[in-house]
Amino acid sequence: MKSKITTVMMVLLAAFITLGGTTSCKSKKQLAKEAAEAEYKSRVAEAVKDLTAILDDETLWSLEEKEARVQTIKDWNLQNAEVDDLLLQVEKKLARERAQKEEELRVLEDRERLSAADIVLGRNFNTIANASSVSQANRAISETLAMFESPNVPVLIIIKQNAGFNDYDRPTTIENYLNYLKDQKKATEKIHEIKYNANGKINELELIKK
Amino acid sequence: MKKIIATLVIALCVVGSAMAQDELSFERKQAIDSLALEKVRDLSKYIKIVGSKETPFSEANRVIDRAEELFMSDAEIGVSSLSSNKVTYYRVRKYFEHLMRLNYDRVEIEWYNIEYVSDLQRQPDGTYVGVITIFQTFRGYDAEGNLAYKDTTKKDITVYVKRKETQIGGRTIGFWDVLLGDMRVKETSNR
Repeated sequence: MKSKITTVMMVLLAAFITLGGTTSCKSKKQLAKEAAEAEYKSRVAEAVKDLTAILDDETLWSLEEKEARVQTIKDWNLQNAEVDDLLLQVEKKLARERAQKEEELRVLEDRERLSAADIVLGRNFNTIANASSVSQANRAISETLAMFESPNVPVLIIIKQNAGFNDYDRPTTIENYLNYLKDQKKATEKIHEIKYNANGKINELELIKK
Repeated sequence: MKKIIATLVIALCVVGSAMAQDELSFERKQAIDSLALEKVRDLSKYIKIVGSKETPFSEANRVIDRAEELFMSDAEIGVSSLSSNKVTYYRVRKYFEHLMRLNYDRVEIEWYNIEYVSDLQRQPDGTYVGVITIFQTFRGYDAEGNLAYKDTTKKDITVYVKRKETQIGGRTIGFWDVLLGDMRVKETSNR
């Protein structure tokens, strides 16, 4: 009798454990699924919020930070129509911002290069004009000519700026202009504009009377 | 109606542009006045360089080329002397070659009081013509460094300024071409 009771108890225990284990496993899967769904929803919401903020210029992020954020959202691979549409719009916007930034950078670099050439040319013009001998002036002329595409590069000299157009002196060449500085011993023009060829040599120079 | 208005606007623009070319503003006129005076001052420096016995021959020849470019092709320069009442006129290159060969050991040439005696006036063909006067003091020294000859000459230079256009880098550039005409001797003294 005692043995029967023990056997029944063992069977009940086994059944309880088995049933209890099965129920617990199902609950964990459900929880995981719910958690994944919640995370997906949260990421979609986050993506929509960030992408909308980028579109509406309501973030303080730099262009690089915005680009990084877009890349993260793309990596989530949310496959959500709303997010995909926003991504398309934001990528177009960021491409425009990138192009604008690169253009600004190019202008800045050109300005810096012009400024550097301006300083060197201005210094060389003064060296030539104030040279103590013809040979010293000629050395400075050779050094300056090396910055130009050829000795025949045109030099335009603005004598007067008017509303919308310039009055020029007769155009000359860089070689003649540098010799002019040597002969006249004066540098009365300053650099107005410099144009370069693909090799970085000056191929047009515009000066203006001081 | 629209066509008529468009035609009128274009016509007004063309006339306005032509008037802008014809009637220079005070500032633009001043700019070309100064440009012409500067060309005369440039010439004075070229004369000084070529006249100097210290100038290397090759440099002098280069400068003569540049000086020639300042003048009209048929321009002449008058040369006078205290020893004669005659004024000899040379073509520009001949004048400079003569200046290079002067028989002195050292030559000093100074120009001063460079100013307009007759302002630039617009001619019917659009050229502006004026006369600039200069005073030139010439000093010639012998081998011992003694002053061998000195005179002061007043000269009048006719100046021609014309608006021209040229193509540079695909752009049309409008410029003022200043050309010097004859340089006439007005008086010579031993001052």
